[in-house]
Amino acid sequence: MAHVSVPMYWRSVPQRYRLIANKCRTCGYVMFPPKAVCPSCGERAAFDEIGLSGRGTVYSFATIAAGSAPPEFADQERASGPYPIAVVELVEGPRITGQLTDVDSKDVRIGMSVRAELRRIYEEEGVVRYGFKFILAEG
Amino acid sequence: MSRCALASTTPPYGEKLLSSSLVTGLGLPNDILVSDHTTSTRAGTEALLACVEHLAANPDGHALVAVADAPIASLLDPLEHGLGAGAAAFVLSTNGSIASIEGHASHVIEHFGERFRGPEEDRLHDLGIRKFSEESYLSATAGAAGTLLSQLRRKPGDFVHAVLQQPDARLPGIASAKIGLSNHQLVAGLVSAYLGDLGAASTLVGLAAVLDVAKRNDTVLAISYGSGAGSDAIALRVAGDRRPSVSVRAEAARKDYLDYLQYAKLRRALR
Repeated sequence: MAHVSVPMYWRSVPQRYRLIANKCRTCGYVMFPPKAVCPSCGERAAFDEIGLSGRGTVYSFATIAAGSAPPEFADQERASGPYPIAVVELVEGPRITGQLTDVDSKDVRIGMSVRAELRRIYEEEGVVRYGFKFILAEG
Repeated sequence: MSRCALASTTPPYGEKLLSSSLVTGLGLPNDILVSDHTTSTRAGTEALLACVEHLAANPDGHALVAVADAPIASLLDPLEHGLGAGAAAFVLSTNGSIASIEGHASHVIEHFGERFRGPEEDRLHDLGIRKFSEESYLSATAGAAGTLLSQLRRKPGDFVHAVLQQPDARLPGIASAKIGLSNHQLVAGLVSAYLGDLGAASTLVGLAAVLDVAKRNDTVLAISYGSGAGSDAIALRVAGDRRPSVSVRAEAARKDYLDYLQYAKLRRALR
């Protein structure tokens, strides 16, 4: 990933802070991030805003090792070492990418239950960018 | 929710509203009155009392108090080794279900040389005049406690639990002896023993730990302190027995150990 300007980041604050998605009234498809056209049925107007639960399971994952972190995450990698990222399939359907945190890379498995938490992600242009990371769900 | 107060001595910005991130992250209404409390480890109780005052004027409202702190000093500073990080949050209303606030009192004195930062500094320091600094802590905490006790016509021994600001493990003991409290009243709230100095979160995380174990009708005395210097003393009565789903003890027990090299890297002291 590259530079995300402050106005562009600001427009996505509802998604990043609270996982706000669109649900198609015609076919029930859940879009995250929200889209202008439903990719499932082509609906263009009738959407409801919903807040996703943040709960889901690990669909796939990888470890970002030394030197391979995108520039905005280079400081994190230098300070705390390699970190896992995952594609998480949320219970509402969408698959979204995020860091897994408070877990060792070698303990991550496909199918693990996780939940999203609001965390500090990185800092750019002096602005702290908050967003979600995934932690292991209890039980 | 009609009021939200956030406290920290280590906010991510020197200037910018901080509570807006919390309000937006929680999806609270935009017409809420917010306030940020910082520059002193007394900020936690300052935020709490700001919400108490709000509810006195708006008895139908609810208020959220959150305190989060991670004080930072140079790795070369003797202050540094005791520093920790922690957070606590409370919801206040006029019909409280966990505990009710029976009274509060404050004490403020002009003092300096202890735990401060200039406008461009991000690392804490003090001038190392230990006895002089301790005098400030002792007189502010005892001053606030004394006023509150006479307001409520109570003796120190009437409280089942007491929590004092914990800049280290030693000072609360000395101050409590001066106030007339005994060590067994301090045990439940002495979080510095396993969490270190939590800065603005110290007294309120200690209070949360007390409320985790307190029984119905137990009385609690909480006394904060911030250099500069001021103290707030708050008297509470526990409304009912409860089985907390999240407890300070259990959260603190969920931990990973770091070696010093990892710690220095996390503090961005090594690259």
